[in-house]
Amino acid sequence: MERYAPAPVLRAALRATVSRRAGSEALYLVLGLPLGIAGFYLLIILLVPGILLTASVVGTIAGLGLLIAATQLGRMVGAGHRWLAARCLGSQVTAPAPFRPGTGIIGRIDARLRDGAAWRATGYVLVKFPLAVLGCYVALVAWIGGLFYLTYPAWWWLSGAAVRADHGTGKPAVVMNPLPVGGLHVRTWPSALAVPLLGAAVLLAAPWAVRLFVTADRWLIRNLLGAGRLSERVRELEESRASAVDDSAATLRRVERDLHDGAQARLVALAMSLGMAKEKLGDDGEPVNVTRARELVDTAHRSAKEALTELRDLARGIHPPVLDGGLPDALATLTARSAVPAGLTADIPARPTAAIETIAYFCAAELLANAAKHSAASHVAVTAAARNGALLLSVSDDGIGGADPDHGTGLAGLRQRVRTVDGRLDISSPPGGPTVVTIELPLSA
Amino acid sequence: MTGTDRRPAAAGLRVVIAEDAAVLREGLVQLLADRGYHVCAAVADGDSLLAAVAEHRPAVTIVDVRMPPTYTDEGLRAAIRLRAEYPRTAVLVFSQYVETRYAARLLADSAAGVGYLLKDRVADVGEFTEALARVAAGGTALDPEVVSQLLSASRRAASVSDLTGREREVLSLMAEGRSNAAIAASLVVSAGAVEKHVAGIFAKLGLPQSETDNRRVLAVLRYLGS
Repeated sequence: MERYAPAPVLRAALRATVSRRAGSEALYLVLGLPLGIAGFYLLIILLVPGILLTASVVGTIAGLGLLIAATQLGRMVGAGHRWLAARCLGSQVTAPAPFRPGTGIIGRIDARLRDGAAWRATGYVLVKFPLAVLGCYVALVAWIGGLFYLTYPAWWWLSGAAVRADHGTGKPAVVMNPLPVGGLHVRTWPSALAVPLLGAAVLLAAPWAVRLFVTADRWLIRNLLGAGRLSERVRELEESRASAVDDSAATLRRVERDLHDGAQARLVALAMSLGMAKEKLGDDGEPVNVTRARELVDTAHRSAKEALTELRDLARGIHPPVLDGGLPDALATLTARSAVPAGLTADIPARPTAAIETIAYFCAAELLANAAKHSAASHVAVTAAARNGALLLSVSDDGIGGADPDHGTGLAGLRQRVRTVDGRLDISSPPGGPTVVTIELPLSA
Repeated sequence: MTGTDRRPAAAGLRVVIAEDAAVLREGLVQLLADRGYHVCAAVADGDSLLAAVAEHRPAVTIVDVRMPPTYTDEGLRAAIRLRAEYPRTAVLVFSQYVETRYAARLLADSAAGVGYLLKDRVADVGEFTEALARVAAGGTALDPEVVSQLLSASRRAASVSDLTGREREVLSLMAEGRSNAAIAASLVVSAGAVEKHVAGIFAKLGLPQSETDNRRVLAVLRYLGS
């Protein structure tokens, strides 16, 4: 069949008709009908008396109760529609934040009445009703009607001699009628044979007609059943704040651990050695065990030097002094010290804020260490550039690839750290390599 | 007096050490060997500690609180198990921090043969080994820091403030687990004077007099913690 398709347009049209997407979109419209009708009627049953009672002075309280029930029902029905859209259309609309009840009777009623998400969902359910009816009708007529026309000669023949016997009476044998009025009258074999052409045309048009409704519905879902732009942003910020808190808590824990296991332990050992040495040297007039005392002082001296080294390393881990000279210098130091030969291209005309520089520095350090440990690369390229208010850092190696943030905490930790300032970390690391990690950070945070 | 003369009490006392920082572990082994203790085993985590105690049945163990794998309180948990399973083995918990909550868990049943000291105390070699010997002999050694935290956090602070300065000093030393003789030596007063202070303290706080030192510790700690 494809061989005869004269133009890419036709091929695309044919493909659209038989595509999986066309099927699931039509299915969505059909399945949406029962929920659309049921939800609408239930809502009207609550909403209309609710509004009327609220307007009448006498029944205000009962009316408000009905309105609250209606909007909460709207929320639930809306959730059903959102679920259906997610399953059939793969739409990824974030659900609105769960309802936050108020305190006290008045507070509770007030919070329910001000539940914007519930009112928007109620609006959706009301608008969905005509859309569901029309959409389902169009989907059924287009697909079932199209298939019926396409196979029309068979039906015409099957519908029997009785129908064809009326041929001479002037009555139409079959009325082709997708709409309530008008229609095609088929009386003769040749016209019956022409009907499949119409069927093919309808089938070709079907996915587009369906898509028209689905697109409108998607738009409504996004705006009425979604979290809303502002609250989506709030959610993002909440997440990034939470991960910033986690990150700083993790950093503090690490620093505490390093201190506890390192410098603190060494200082205790140092104090112990000195305490023992003091005893060996004895009190006034006591004989002195000089050899043993010297050994102990040696040990203490060693512990003191080790404690100093550990404290210096720890301080460098908290704020690398090399960053004081700016990110390019710090990155140059990193690449010069890298175990795998590393090249650096840096173009950062305006200095990012200290937090951004620190994050970029630690990311580069971690990625270079990863490349040395896991990639078996022979060369690593580090580039840092400031463009359009963003700092772009990329570390790429010519190694074996296969880096996966879901396995191992290193990359996931970096991603979390980057997210704390609304940044992004992308990893491309197919098996066999190369690995390219790109980090985008705002210039100020 | 020479250094050698100060160690007879420890002669051959069997010790197991659990401490994950190698530098401290080795230092302790050296210190205790120097003092005439017999260090049967020096391990780096709680499970090895339990195994080593089962094998060597030491008189006393020195246990670091934070050890692998979780670096939280596995040493303390191991110490509590040791207290239940080997009541004759004394336990000296050795920590970088003072947590009164840890002390409370450790002393839940009895204060006999229990110690809880800051690692810093090891700098005063004499005091540290004295505390270890006290614990090994079934006594109590609580870090002065624990005691002062208990004193300052105690809801009984009002009645404690009725005590004289000297009496408060005696109370702290009692809570650390020291005997009357040791308190007398530490404050450079006579044993009789200490006994008088102790009687005064118990009377002012309304505590029953207890004969043994570690019962006395428990009574004081319960009083402060209640």
